[in-house]
Amino acid sequence: MKRTLNINIGNSIIHIEEDAFELLTNYLIEVKQHFGKSADDFEIVSDIENRIAEMFSEMLTSQQKQVIELEDVQVVIALMGSVKDFEDQSDDEPAAAHIPYTAFAERKIYRDIEEGMVAGVCSGLSHYLKMDVSILRILAVLTVLLGGSGLIAYLILWVAIPRAVSRSEKMAMRGEAVNLQGFKRNFEEELASLKQNFQNANEHLQPLVKRSGSFLTEFIEVLGRFLQGSGRVIFKFIAIVMAVTGSVMLLSSVITIAALLGIWDSSANEIFPLSMVDAAYFTTLITALFVVVAIPLFALILFSVRVAFNSRPLNKMLSYGLLLIWLAGVSVSIFYVAKISAEFKEEAEFTQAIPLKPYPVYTLELDRSRFFSREDSLRYRLNAADYAGKVIQNHGGDHFSMPRNVSIKIERSENNSASLTQRYGAQGITFETALNNAKNIKYNFTQKDSVLLFSPELYLKKNANWRDQRVELVFRIPAGMKLIIDKKLDRYIQDYALWNCNEDDDHDDKAVRDNFYRGIMTEEGLTCWPLLQQ
Amino acid sequence: MIAENTQTQMRKGILEYCVLLIISRGEIYASDIIAELKSAKLLVVEGTLYPLLTRLKNNGLLSYNWVESTSGPPRKYYTLTAEGISILSQLDTTWQELSFAITQSKNPVKP
Repeated sequence: MKRTLNINIGNSIIHIEEDAFELLTNYLIEVKQHFGKSADDFEIVSDIENRIAEMFSEMLTSQQKQVIELEDVQVVIALMGSVKDFEDQSDDEPAAAHIPYTAFAERKIYRDIEEGMVAGVCSGLSHYLKMDVSILRILAVLTVLLGGSGLIAYLILWVAIPRAVSRSEKMAMRGEAVNLQGFKRNFEEELASLKQNFQNANEHLQPLVKRSGSFLTEFIEVLGRFLQGSGRVIFKFIAIVMAVTGSVMLLSSVITIAALLGIWDSSANEIFPLSMVDAAYFTTLITALFVVVAIPLFALILFSVRVAFNSRPLNKMLSYGLLLIWLAGVSVSIFYVAKISAEFKEEAEFTQAIPLKPYPVYTLELDRSRFFSREDSLRYRLNAADYAGKVIQNHGGDHFSMPRNVSIKIERSENNSASLTQRYGAQGITFETALNNAKNIKYNFTQKDSVLLFSPELYLKKNANWRDQRVELVFRIPAGMKLIIDKKLDRYIQDYALWNCNEDDDHDDKAVRDNFYRGIMTEEGLTCWPLLQQ
Repeated sequence: MIAENTQTQMRKGILEYCVLLIISRGEIYASDIIAELKSAKLLVVEGTLYPLLTRLKNNGLLSYNWVESTSGPPRKYYTLTAEGISILSQLDTTWQELSFAITQSKNPVKP
């Protein structure tokens, strides 16, 4: 079904289809414009219109229809002749008016915006060089693709070459004689096409935009058109990149979960934070978390692929299925997370007094020896025979197997002697459990003569879950007692800013100066010894 | 290109002549003129004719009257004016002269 219009042509009303009407209108405009040069245009044109109307009514009758169609108009135009077939009958215009346009005025280079695709650079060049514009365009695209230099060249030309705005510029661009004849012709061509534009329903505002503004306006407008067209390609490219990234992430999470579930025999559940999770539901929780992470990744990959390759959306059933699984994963995870949080509800602590051999000055050092459980020995393939009598020291960085759970407090003692108490604490779901957890802490403290060795780590019983087990060592010394403290202990010691001590230290031994702080207990608390001396 | 120019020039004059000849036979309207010209294999498109007719009319060689038609818009029926008839006879003479000139140029008959 098509829209029809009614036209009044040759004093009769004719029904005509929309596309036929457009063709007819354009033809009549050309005709009018052609005869506009002579004085009798109105009469000629109306003669022609009458004849066309006559032909139409003949067609309607003979074909027994009511509407003129596109083919009919085409037949009429063929019979009547297109404007260029009209032999010039008037005798004032000499035949020399048909000057081949390559002969005349010198060309100037301008950008041809009307015929150009982006900024008219290639079109303008083609006019100037008398080359076919397609060749130039192919060249341009090639230079852009192979190394991108073409893009820079294009932009430079865009800025450098002015665009043909005024009529004389446009004519100079094409090399048409910039004289009255040429002007007239150019103007009339322009008028005809302008009329056409207005009569078209899809009128763009392009002509207006192009005549106004600066390079910036033009650039923005071209960018918009460019984004519309090749933007889609870029968009697809981005989608592909997303799909690839998503796949990599998905793959790594698969590997992670495989590792966690012990496929490669790692005791991953001893590593914080997974040590929090009770062995019983470790597998379930890990699977649920994997689902929560993997399914959105999977959906993202599918979506990106769909965008990139324009494929159909996923089967509805499958989408809902994936969604359900994901929701199940989420709820399971939440359940277990809640369960685990409950395990930390209650707190318990108990203290243990450690006897200290008295010395005038104590040196506090970090105990770097590692305590190997049996399982660790197996893991590291340590044979007791090889290492008998030797202490393995761990000078490695502070590897994050657990958050720091050892703290040292240094206080002034009420009486005249030094003492040390260890306070063990842990959480649990009930008080009893918490207390049990606290009791299962293993902590190393040794005294060798005047050196007190503090271990930086505490150890849990095998397979014990992490329940924020901590040890606090309270070291009480009387006022006036001096301490030499290993700098490495600084992070374990609470409340004191001993790092200031170093600046004014004038101890003879450089090794001591570099590695130790010197402090003294006063009424107010532990202070830097060098400061005190001043 | 050069041949086209000459051919166009030749055609222009003869077309006019033929049109006047056709109209001299009796009252006739544009569409029929074209049909005759086509059968004489002289004209191809109708659009060439209308400006010609109008020019001849404006120069006083033709006149027309409107005749109503049942199958479409009214038509112009052209006839030769007195002036047109006289011009036509002048063209007849010219044509004979030209014809002679051509024949003579092709096969000179020595006097």
